[in-house]
Amino acid sequence: MQIKEEKQGDVMIVTIDDHLDTAAAPAFEQRLLGLIDGGERKVLIDCGPLEYVNSAGLKVFLLAAKKLEPVGGQFIICSLAPSVLMIFEMIGFTRIMKIAPNREDALRAFGVAAAT
Amino acid sequence: MHEGSITLHISADVREIERLNRLVRQFGELHDVPSRTLYSVNLALDELVTNVILYGYEEGSAKEIAVKLVTTTKDELVASVADEAKPFNPLEVAAPDLKAPLEERQLGGLGIHLVRSLMDHVSYEREKGKNVLTIRKRIR
Repeated sequence: MQIKEEKQGDVMIVTIDDHLDTAAAPAFEQRLLGLIDGGERKVLIDCGPLEYVNSAGLKVFLLAAKKLEPVGGQFIICSLAPSVLMIFEMIGFTRIMKIAPNREDALRAFGVAAAT
Repeated sequence: MHEGSITLHISADVREIERLNRLVRQFGELHDVPSRTLYSVNLALDELVTNVILYGYEEGSAKEIAVKLVTTTKDELVASVADEAKPFNPLEVAAPDLKAPLEERQLGGLGIHLVRSLMDHVSYEREKGKNVLTIRKRIR
């Protein structure tokens, strides 16, 4: 799995690809929680290129959402593939996390105009 | 779908999961198992085998995990995961409260919840000193 970071306005966009599994989860957890600890308050995870997630990966999303909520942060996940979205629904994350169909919608929800 | 079976031996290392998933996919394609079914079975096996590696076996254990896959004439894919760890029935793990608000959501139990949700039937047996978890998925 590769983790890419980019900043658009005050939104930190983290793109992950391929497999977010038990072997990949610790690196993702460290990067993502590190960003929040470093002061990022608007965090968007772009899962467009992500093909597979297991419970170890799902835990990282939950940890990040739990960390951002009490500090008034915003956490949005976008562009989930149908098979990955099914897993998010199954585990009840679509109730407690904001899921956007694509990056543009997610950025709009953050109040940032998408770059053209 | 064609009838067939295969037994795979997995070492106690999380990096083995990728190999397991690849072998399951190869077996599935050879036996005409739909890719949606394979996806679910692969994820369920990932969760079960990962649990054994992380919590059942000591780190660097030489013990193996045997994963058996069977396609039946009844259009069902049956998989079992057998390990030599101490007796443990993952089906006794409390289900996560999916309706809890974010701050109360617990980190535990997600994996086994996925296994139950993805499969049509899940059962546990302690058999000849082994934990045997059997999962069944009907082909639709």
